[in-house]
Amino acid sequence: MLVPMKRLTLYALKDDREALLLALQKDGNVMLIQTDDKTSLPGAEEVTSQLDKAKEAIHFLDSHGAKKSLLAPKLAVPYQQFLLESKGGQQAMDEAENLASQIATLRNEGATLLSQAESLNPWLKLDIPLEELKGTETTDCFVGYLPEEDLEGYLKATEKSLVDINRLGIGPEGLALVVIAHKSQSQEIKHILKEHNFTEALLPKGTGLATQVVRELKTEAEKKEKAALELESKAKEIAGQKDQIALYADQLAAKGDRLANGGTETIKTFCLHGWVRHDRTQQVETAVKSVTDAYELTFREPKEGEIPPSVMENNKLVAPYESVVELYSRPKVGTVDPDLMMAPFHFIFFGMMLSDAGYGLVLTIALFIAMKLFKPQGFAGKLTMVIFFGSISTVIWGAMFGGWFGLEWHPLLFVPMNEPIKMLVLCFGLGAIHLVCGMLIKVYTLIKAGDIMGAVCDQISWLIMFAGFFCMGMAEGPIGKYLALFGAAIILLFGGREKKGIISRLIGGLLSLYNISSYLSDLLSYSRIFALGLATGVIGMVINTIAQMLLGMGPVGVVVAVLLLIGGHTFNIIINVLGAFVHSSRLQYIEFFGKFFEAGGRAFVPLALRTKYTEVTK
Amino acid sequence: MITLGTALAFGGAAFSAALAGVGSAKGLAIAGQAGSGVVAEDPDKFGNVLVLQALPGTQGIYGLLIAFIILLKIGAVGGAGVKELTTFQGLALFFAAFPMGIGGLLSAIAQGKVAAAGIYLTAKRPEEFGKGITMTAMVETYAVLALLISFLMVYGINI
Repeated sequence: MLVPMKRLTLYALKDDREALLLALQKDGNVMLIQTDDKTSLPGAEEVTSQLDKAKEAIHFLDSHGAKKSLLAPKLAVPYQQFLLESKGGQQAMDEAENLASQIATLRNEGATLLSQAESLNPWLKLDIPLEELKGTETTDCFVGYLPEEDLEGYLKATEKSLVDINRLGIGPEGLALVVIAHKSQSQEIKHILKEHNFTEALLPKGTGLATQVVRELKTEAEKKEKAALELESKAKEIAGQKDQIALYADQLAAKGDRLANGGTETIKTFCLHGWVRHDRTQQVETAVKSVTDAYELTFREPKEGEIPPSVMENNKLVAPYESVVELYSRPKVGTVDPDLMMAPFHFIFFGMMLSDAGYGLVLTIALFIAMKLFKPQGFAGKLTMVIFFGSISTVIWGAMFGGWFGLEWHPLLFVPMNEPIKMLVLCFGLGAIHLVCGMLIKVYTLIKAGDIMGAVCDQISWLIMFAGFFCMGMAEGPIGKYLALFGAAIILLFGGREKKGIISRLIGGLLSLYNISSYLSDLLSYSRIFALGLATGVIGMVINTIAQMLLGMGPVGVVVAVLLLIGGHTFNIIINVLGAFVHSSRLQYIEFFGKFFEAGGRAFVPLALRTKYTEVTK
Repeated sequence: MITLGTALAFGGAAFSAALAGVGSAKGLAIAGQAGSGVVAEDPDKFGNVLVLQALPGTQGIYGLLIAFIILLKIGAVGGAGVKELTTFQGLALFFAAFPMGIGGLLSAIAQGKVAAAGIYLTAKRPEEFGKGITMTAMVETYAVLALLISFLMVYGINI
């Protein structure tokens, strides 16, 4: 059910603000309301940039050998220690940032040097030092590249000229040439060169022969790389301090949350507005009292136009299914929380779709161990519980349908693949019950809101008609037919009751009656339960059959068969768990919620300690 | 001995597995290309992106399913030996594979496009990941219906 929320207003002295925000954050029950004007406290931007730096540092250390195992539990930190900003963490973060930027600079410089060395490759044959590549008293010197196809044309054009051409190597832009022309003709030669797509080469500065310069550049680059590697091994040494940086990052994140909203202020006081659960007001008051007694704290019901966040609360078995609702949308405040009704259906459908008791057992055991090891919290924790419940359901339905790791064995009910019609009847039957439940919830909502006409004409009339169809199919005698006609009549007469005039009213009723096609398509949607169960069973069977064929092929075959069985069935479980979850949820979202659900609730995000790397113990 | 009917039945199985598989491959490719772009910007989103990319994969599996059921029916799987089908029996099995083959092919490609859009949605608004999944799963309805009708048809053919 949706928990009623109260609006909180706190007036206190600015001197106490920091302590009050800390106390409220530790308590974790108040969602602060953003007023229109910017209310973030000074220092918030700096905290954000520090937090970014900390995250970068953690990434850097991760790629340099920091321990990063998914199985390790979060670091446990007592609250008092969490309050003191980790100086060690800040130092380590600065060190890591330093190292990272130094290594990056060294690597960049090394890369530049190497590319310069590359560019000298075509000039290695040059037998004069690089700095001598210029003109003399009587000649001018052109150094550059000429595309191969233009060489002939150039040579022809300069047959009679006072020019010498030295061909060296080949570069990406063409032949590397040194052209020496007599000063009297150098302008002409320059023109001819340009006509033939000559491009001047910009050679790196260096003294000595090209080969020597290349060697020098390469040694420089190697030195830089060595320096970078040294720094990297230094980074490995401080990788062990990653935990401190992680703690620092969490502290920064918590500080950022506190500084995000300081409320409206005067010279000496400030005022905060927020939302609290109606059963947590006492706790909030205690937290405030523990800091100061100079405060004014009031709680009131939300006024017209104020929309509190939607908080769902259910018993332990149903609560995990709130995650399924949250994936879609939170219910609008004041409407019904669908969890209680939805949970059993999701449980049943998941099991029917996965429908293999062997897989269910494997999944149950695996998830049980995983939950004990990782202890997932919050949304991920709820989702894990949903799939855990689903796996229990899978064992039940797998036993009913006789599916054990793809083999058929003593079905308690029947085997769907052999009796598809019976299975379809079962699916449609459950689907009909699901749809009727949705409609009944809508009837309840309408009656609570006082819309009796709506409840009767739009929902109960359909229910009567469906009851009539059911009786027509089940029992002999005219009772079914009369019930169905009665229901249809109500729809026809009152479906268009908004319209004026008898003709348009009847036409409206006829159009309402046409909605039966949408109910039919909703019902047909449930056939996917059969299809998905079938898919799991047949893939399992395929894997088993192939493994069986491999078993007959000697010892190699046996090894491959075992690998295939383990890998194939694991693959089957993963794919079909995804499918079963997505489609069970989808049946709730479209067919069930479509009857009564009103989306649009806001999330409740209180000011609380939200840590990514550590776990704060009180 | 393999009669024309048996050959047609093999053709149906091949048709179903091949087309639906190609469809899934294309759908996954479209989604994967979108996913690579998103992960290049933000590697932390990989988990969400992978889930969305995997959704169009089911059509290939359904196609394989129908193919396998057809092969089972004509005795090609298991040691007993292939049955001899009349031409019309084989033709009926061939047509029975149509909905899954063509339906799987086209619905998987379409679903891949929605999955890609869902991946972009997750990139912009990570908290609305569930809505992306729901929209992608909507397309699957038609693959499921195709699977169902192919199955019923194959089941209804008496060998």
